[in-house]
Amino acid sequence: MDVILNLLPHLVNGLALGLLFALIALGFMLIVGVMELINLAHGSLFALGAYFAMSIIDPNLSYFGSFGDWYSALPLALRYVVALALAPALVALVGMGLEICMRRTYGKKAEYGLLLTYGAALVIEETIRITWGSAEQVMPIPDAVSGAFFAGGMIYSNYRFYAAFFALFMIIVVWLFLEKTPYGATIKAGAHDSEMVRALGVNLTRLRLLVFGLGASLSGIAGIILTPIWGLRPHVGVDVVIPAFLIIVVGGIGSFWGAVIAGVMVGLVVAFSGAYVSEWSMMSMYLLLIVVVTFRTRGLFGKKSALEN
Amino acid sequence: MAFFEAKHLQKRFGDQVVLEDITLSFEAGQLSGIMGPNGAGKSTCFNVLTGQYKPDGGTVHFDGQDITGLPPRKISGMGIARSFQIMTLFDEFSAIDNIMIALRNTVTRAFNPLYDLPGDTTTMDRAADVLAKVGLKGRELEQAINLPYGERRALEIGVALASEPRLLFLDEPTQGLGVDGTARLADLILELKETYSIVIIEHDMKFLFRLADKISVIHWGQVITEGSPEDLRANEWVQASQLGEVA
Amino acid sequence: MKSPFAISTPVFTRPMLLMFVVLGTFPLWGTSVGLYNYLGVEIIIWIIYALGFNLLLGYTGLPSFGHGAYFGIGAYAYSLCQLNVFESVWAGILLGAFAGGVAAGLAACFLSHRRGIYFALMTIAFGQVFWFIAIKWHTLTGGEDGLLNVYRGTLSLGPVDVSLKSNEALFYFAFAVLVVITLLLWRIVHSPYGKALQAIRMSEMRAGFVGYNVWLMKWSVFTLSGVIAGLAGSIFAIAQESAYPDVMSLHASGFIVMMTLIGGGFVSFWGPVIGAIIFFVARDFLGSLTETWLLWYGLMFMAVMLFKPEGIAGVWQDFMKKQKAKSAATPTSQTPKNSVAGE
Repeated sequence: MDVILNLLPHLVNGLALGLLFALIALGFMLIVGVMELINLAHGSLFALGAYFAMSIIDPNLSYFGSFGDWYSALPLALRYVVALALAPALVALVGMGLEICMRRTYGKKAEYGLLLTYGAALVIEETIRITWGSAEQVMPIPDAVSGAFFAGGMIYSNYRFYAAFFALFMIIVVWLFLEKTPYGATIKAGAHDSEMVRALGVNLTRLRLLVFGLGASLSGIAGIILTPIWGLRPHVGVDVVIPAFLIIVVGGIGSFWGAVIAGVMVGLVVAFSGAYVSEWSMMSMYLLLIVVVTFRTRGLFGKKSALEN
Repeated sequence: MAFFEAKHLQKRFGDQVVLEDITLSFEAGQLSGIMGPNGAGKSTCFNVLTGQYKPDGGTVHFDGQDITGLPPRKISGMGIARSFQIMTLFDEFSAIDNIMIALRNTVTRAFNPLYDLPGDTTTMDRAADVLAKVGLKGRELEQAINLPYGERRALEIGVALASEPRLLFLDEPTQGLGVDGTARLADLILELKETYSIVIIEHDMKFLFRLADKISVIHWGQVITEGSPEDLRANEWVQASQLGEVA
Repeated sequence: MKSPFAISTPVFTRPMLLMFVVLGTFPLWGTSVGLYNYLGVEIIIWIIYALGFNLLLGYTGLPSFGHGAYFGIGAYAYSLCQLNVFESVWAGILLGAFAGGVAAGLAACFLSHRRGIYFALMTIAFGQVFWFIAIKWHTLTGGEDGLLNVYRGTLSLGPVDVSLKSNEALFYFAFAVLVVITLLLWRIVHSPYGKALQAIRMSEMRAGFVGYNVWLMKWSVFTLSGVIAGLAGSIFAIAQESAYPDVMSLHASGFIVMMTLIGGGFVSFWGPVIGAIIFFVARDFLGSLTETWLLWYGLMFMAVMLFKPEGIAGVWQDFMKKQKAKSAATPTSQTPKNSVAGE
C-alpha cells in the first residue's frame, strides 16, 4: 500500500507530462505523416508561438495611444484567450511560408528537406533573439490556472493540470478532425499514399500548405501551453524538437495513437527516472528510444514509410 | 540434384500468403523462364530465390550448397547475380564505373585502401569488355543517369554480368522497352546464353517463348505447369488462359 | 596497351597542393591581412573534422546530426589522458582518436542497418546521449564547465621537444596532422572502399547484391569518421586548453553538417575545406558587423539548400564545365568524371 502511495504522485506527474509531450509531438506528427518530412524547425515554431503569445498578452502599446490603454486594461484572462487564438494563426503563416520554400526540395532526396528545416530553425531562433532578446522571460498566465493545491501530502501546481487537460483536449480535437472530417480523411490518405490522393483529385499543393500550416499552429499552441512550465528562451526550441521526434519514432511514423501512447510512455519514464535518478531523467527517454527501435525498427505502431529509402 | 533447386518455398507478408508452395529447378547451361500474370508472385519468388527476402518455409540449393535465407552479398559471392525490374544503377557513376565497382575483383578488395582502383588497367579493361558485351562500347564515360532508357536496361544487365556469375537472374528485362528495344535485348540474351546459365522472369510471352529452354508458369503462388515452350503451347491451362496465343 | 579508361590516382593534386600552400603559409601572411594565428588553428581543426565527416555525409550519403559527440569525446579523452595518465601530446591525441572511434563504433552498431531519415534520427539520439553523459557525469567530465586545467604541453619529436604554447607552434602541428589526414583520406576515397561507399549512397540495395557487405561498410565508415572527429577534438582540447560539453550539442553538430554542405561535400572532396574556411571567416567577418551573424549564416545555408544543394564546389564545377564547353566547341577528348572525387 505504501509503495502505491509512494508511486502515485509520480504516476500522476508522469501522465501529465506525457500528455504534454504528446501535445508537442502532434504538429510534428501531422507533418511527418503526410509529407514524410522531418520538420526540424518544429521547435523554433514552438518557441515562436510562445513569443507571439507573450507579445499579445503583454504588448508594448505605447504607439497605439488610447487603443493601447484600452487593451491593456482588459482582464488578463481575456488577453490570454486572444493570444491562444491569434498566436497559433501567426505561426501557421510562418509555417506556410516555410512550406512554400520547401517546394523546391520535393522530389529530391528527403535529406534536403530535413536540412532546409534545420536552416530555418537556426534563422527563426536568431530572429527571436533579435526581436525579443536572449534573456529568459516569463509568460503571464491568468490567475484562474495559477497557484497550487495540496493532495495526499503532496503539492501540485494548478497550471500543470490545466496544461495536461488542455493537451488532452487538443489531442481529442485533432483526432476528431482526422477521423470525422473530410479533410482529415484526405490527410490520412495522404499519409499512406500521395499518389492516391492525387488520383482522388485533391489538390496536393494546397493539402501540403494546409498541413504545414496546421502542423505549425499546433507547434505554436504547444509552445504557449508549455513555456510557462519550461521557461521562455530563444533556444527552448531545441529542447523541444528532440523529444518530439523521439516520440514519433518510438510511436511509429504515421500512427496517431502511436504518438500519443509514446508521449505518455516518455512522460512516465521521465517522471519515474526523475524521482529516483533525477540527474539522468532526461536521458532516460533516449534510452527508451534506443531500446524500442532496436527491437521494433518502425517503432511501436509504425508502418512502412518512404523515409526508409 | 539440379544446378539450382528450390523446394516448397513459402512466403507470407502478414496474413497474405504470396508463395504457397513453389518448387523450381534450373539446369546449368540453360535459359529458364518464369512467367505468370501480374500479382501471381513472380517477383516475390525471384526475391526469395536471390536472397532479398527470407522464405518462411522451404529450401534453396545452388550447385549442391544450401543457400536458403543467406543475405544477398553471400549469394552474390557464390556466383549468382541479378538485375532489377525497377532499374537500380549507380546513377552518378559513369557507365564504366558502374561495371568497375561491380567486378568480382573489386568487391574482394573492398577493404584494401592501397589498391588504386581507377588506375588499374586490368580492371578497367575488363570493365570495358563487359560494357562492350552488352553493346555499350563508346558509351563508357557517360553518366548512367544520362543514358537513354534502352542503354540503361543494357547497363543493368552489364552490372549483373560484372560479378562473373555462374547463374544470372534477369527480372523483367523488357520492362518499358519498345518493339525495337525488345528485339535488340533478345539478340543480346541469345548471345549471353552461349556463356551463361540464365533465369528470366517475364510477362512478355513472345519474348520468353523465343528464348527459353524451359518455362515455369506461376499462378496463385504455385507452379501450375512447366515444360519446354512446345509443351506449354499444347498445355490446356496455357491455352485456356490465352497466354499461349500470343506466342 | 594501357587501357584508355584507367587513370591512376595521383598522390598529390593541384587543389591539394594549393590547399597545403595557402594554409601552410598562413602564419606568414595571416596577421598582415588582419587575421590571427589562433583562427588558423581553429580552421585547420575543423577542416580535419569536416573531411572525416564528409566521408560519411558526402560519400556514403549518411547524414549524422550527432557528430559533435565524437569530437567532444576526443577532447575529453585528450584532457583526461593529460590530467591523469600521460603528459605526452602523442598519447593524448591517439587516445582522443581512439575514444572517438570507440564511441562512434558503439553507436554505429545500432545505426548501420538503417537508412535515410531513420539513420539521421538515431544519430541525433546517440549524439544527445553522449552529450548528456558529458554534462551529468561530473566526477569524470566536470559537468557543464568541463575540464579546465588542460595545458598546451610539449611535443616530443625524437631528439627535439617543441612547446605548443604559442599559437604558431600549435598551428604547424595541426597543419602537419591535416596533411597526413588529407593524404590518407584521398587514398581511401580512390580505393575500392571509397568507391563502394559512393555506390552505397546511390543504391544500397544494389551494392549488397553486387556483393558488398553494406552493414560492415557503413559501420566502418561511421567509426572512421568518429576516429577523425576524435582526433580533431583532441587538438581542439589543446587549442582551447579545456574540454567542455558545448561542442557536443545538437547545435555544434549541426554546424559541421552546414559547413560540409555549403562547401559542397556532396560533389567534391574539397567541399568541406571550403565550407570550414567560409564558416570561420563568416563568423569573424559577419560577427564583427552584427551580433546575429548566425541568422545570416542560416539564411545563406537555406539559400544554398534551395538553389544549389551541390554547394560552392558545385558552382565552381558548373563554371569549369561551361568554360570547357566554350573553349572546345567540338568535344575532342572526354575526361571521365567521378561523382565525388573531382578536382
